[in-house]
Amino acid sequence: MAENRDVGGLFCFEVLAQLSDYVDGELGAEARAKIDGHLQGCDACAQFGGEFGAVVKALQQKVRGEEPSAGAQERLLARLPVR
Amino acid sequence: MEQPSADHELVTRAAGGDSAAQRELVVRHQGAVFRLLKRLASNTAQAEDLTQETFITALEHLGSWRGEGSARGWLLSIARSRRLMSRRTSSARHEPAEGASLEKLGLAAGWGSPVDPEELASRLEQRTVLEQALQGLDEESREVLTLRDLEELSGEETAQVLGLSVAAMKSRLHRARLALVASVKRGAAHG
Repeated sequence: MAENRDVGGLFCFEVLAQLSDYVDGELGAEARAKIDGHLQGCDACAQFGGEFGAVVKALQQKVRGEEPSAGAQERLLARLPVR
Repeated sequence: MEQPSADHELVTRAAGGDSAAQRELVVRHQGAVFRLLKRLASNTAQAEDLTQETFITALEHLGSWRGEGSARGWLLSIARSRRLMSRRTSSARHEPAEGASLEKLGLAAGWGSPVDPEELASRLEQRTVLEQALQGLDEESREVLTLRDLEELSGEETAQVLGLSVAAMKSRLHRARLALVASVKRGAAHG
């Protein structure tokens, strides 16, 4: 069970709730600094934050998804009106 | 992604019956539309059919695009609508992310229970691990992760495509990412 400690003026749960905004760089400077302060003093959140950030980054960089076949594009283009 | 002005000019020409512009729209955006639909649909054939329906619908309604956001976002909205219209009850998936509390999602993702960082890094090097973990999520989670993290739509545009406020989209995205972390770690636990 995770602890919910107040470190640096933030509880662990508050950090959990803001992790996406944190890794996306969408927090203001003050909010970001508060989370940085919590992470510096809370090993559990620093570890989980690292895991979370690593998974998101890997998803963004390594997964691409399947491309349509060449035949599929030709079939679609063939359905376009010719003018 | 192309600039909005380039989109606007291309769609304007396509709406005027310019077949070269219509082809360009297809060539430029078919990949993104297909990738989303393949992520959501049951199989490749269905994804291809829905991709065709998306573009045929779009070309019939080019005049309705108001020029807000990108043409790609507009096309992905249409793709999503076509998918929703065709959807049957899905086979068993994990519980939808929105049904669980954030704390429960965090705990399932290993919040408070650290894993070996080298082991995790090694797992994340394997694209198949991430693909399987992603496909193991519920459809809404796969959808928001595909739009935001894979197709790199902005937060605002992702929200627009999903018909959500930005805040609601961010909530769904965060829950989906936590579910993905849990899914990656579950895959590691089962070897």
